[in-house]
Amino acid sequence: MFAYIESLRMALSAIWGNKLRAALTTLGIIIGILAVTLMGTLISGLDRSFEKSMSFLGRDVLYIAKHEWFGEQEWWEIRNRPDLKVAYVEKLKSQSKYVKAAAPVTMRTVNITREDEMAMGINIAGTTPEYMQTAFLNIESGRFFTEGEDRSGTRVIVIGYDVANALFENENPIGEKVKIGNYVFRVVGVTEKQGKFLGLFSMDNRALIPLGTYQRLFSRRGWMRLDIKVDENHIADAKDEITAIMRNLRGLHPEEKNDFAINQQDAFRQQYQTMKIAIGGTGIFITVLSLVVGGIGIMNIMFVSVKERTREIGVRKAIGATPSSIMRQFLFEALLICLFGGFVGMVMALGGSILIDKYIFPSTLPVSLAITALVLSSVVGLIAGLAPSFRAARLDPIEALRYE
Amino acid sequence: MADLIKLSGLKRYYDVGGEIVKALDGVDLVINHNEYISIMGPSGSGKSTMMNMIGCLDTPTEGTYEFEGEQVHEMDDNQLASIRNRKIGFVFQTFNLLPKLTALRNVELPLVYANIPRDERLEHAKIALEKVDLTDRMHHKPNELSGGQRQRVAIARALATNPSIILADEPTGNLDSKSGGEIMEVFDALFKEGNTIILVTHEAYIAKHAHRTIHILDGCIEEDIVNHKSKARKKPRKQKATA
Repeated sequence: MFAYIESLRMALSAIWGNKLRAALTTLGIIIGILAVTLMGTLISGLDRSFEKSMSFLGRDVLYIAKHEWFGEQEWWEIRNRPDLKVAYVEKLKSQSKYVKAAAPVTMRTVNITREDEMAMGINIAGTTPEYMQTAFLNIESGRFFTEGEDRSGTRVIVIGYDVANALFENENPIGEKVKIGNYVFRVVGVTEKQGKFLGLFSMDNRALIPLGTYQRLFSRRGWMRLDIKVDENHIADAKDEITAIMRNLRGLHPEEKNDFAINQQDAFRQQYQTMKIAIGGTGIFITVLSLVVGGIGIMNIMFVSVKERTREIGVRKAIGATPSSIMRQFLFEALLICLFGGFVGMVMALGGSILIDKYIFPSTLPVSLAITALVLSSVVGLIAGLAPSFRAARLDPIEALRYE
Repeated sequence: MADLIKLSGLKRYYDVGGEIVKALDGVDLVINHNEYISIMGPSGSGKSTMMNMIGCLDTPTEGTYEFEGEQVHEMDDNQLASIRNRKIGFVFQTFNLLPKLTALRNVELPLVYANIPRDERLEHAKIALEKVDLTDRMHHKPNELSGGQRQRVAIARALATNPSIILADEPTGNLDSKSGGEIMEVFDALFKEGNTIILVTHEAYIAKHAHRTIHILDGCIEEDIVNHKSKARKKPRKQKATA
């Protein structure tokens, strides 16, 4: 123990005596550790923002549409598929024992105006009140529209958080009138703030109207999606059953392929996993590369240091330093340089992650990653220091004392 | 009292590109406690090899080396390091102080390798510096000291562990005659205090300080004479000059 403290002290004083060189050498390690920690922070941040986005899609909700979310079919094939029909919803509900709730969703982009204010490029969805069960949505104020309003095609609208803010700054929108084109709608509800989906589409920049109203005013045809909430304990079974029902509804022969798709949150997950592996793999490669480069820098400077201090090593040996104490001294030197680099890199990554958190997307530096960074830099230090220290330890004292 | 150093049939051969160089070729020598010895010889005589051998920096090809009963010729690197640390104090021609350490730290260094606690170390180091009369310069680095002072720091370093012998290789070689004389006075004084001192030199007037002079030629002891007119005055005692 005692000898270790002395070796540590010698290593420290050697580094202190060559501050600039040590600082420059450690730069490689700083960059390497910065890369490791930032990459880790990035991935963990990505994970969390992905999970948050995934909460918009229920695990137990199947999304029936004409196309697969991450399919590889040709576009013309999908275009030629027949549209989904509202009528399927009732059939699915009556024929499948797993369906808990089902809502057809159809969508278009419109501008919503109120007096002089205008909210542009709003996704307006026509759906049924059951959408409240299939979507993960809360009403902040007011209410969702009713079955009756849907059936009668009443012109009521539930607006997203951002839309409400844009049109009704500091006012209560409930009961107020807004216009889509020339049609006047009465605002009955405002949805809670939800954020963006995968950082792409804002879930707050949209509005919902009854499907009946949508079809009467805009279109009875066109793109439609059926959101089906199923028994969460039998998702796979439900998917099979719904596939069978859908094939029947579509009148497909056994040899014909499905002309619809049942999408799930899992599709996103799989897609995300492959992406994560790609990002992570590239990250690890770059990181390892930079650490190797940093390590080679350390090794190089340690060799120079051993060469330079050959005479010192000779003196130390002559006055009684054992090979292992010489080895320890140089190994500690490499270790300390690397550990210092690792620490600085980690602190910089911490700062970086705070900046990213503030301006780009939520991220923090996990403690485990910080520890990994320090351990990793120590390992680099040990490996890089090994060969030079070994050379120092093995020097012949007579030769070393004679060295000029 | 047991012999301090006993070399018997000591040989050290080097293989230089297939040719065997006989640096030491059968040396028999006994050195007792509190002797003041100078080893002389022209360059290439094996004088340096002899010094390295006595200093436990090198091990013989053949023959035995006993140091206070310890079999040096059988030792491995760690044991050699330990015996150098405990029993031998080196003084070099070029001082060989570590330039970044203060005089005190330099003197302390062998005690570090002896695993002595810090406080005790500093105490011993200060005592050693006192012996060479350098207490006032102990916080100076080597480049702030004169050559003579540096060599005195080196002597203090050699004394720090209270070694059995002090082995000085041309200790005045890099000094002017005045500082060289002062250094020799230090050695003389140390001898009077009871230390065993071995000087390696090629200067006859330096060798005259010693009580016994060993001449080496071609790897063998050519002459081993007792110097009764030694400059380091001490009541003459019977020297055991045989081996």
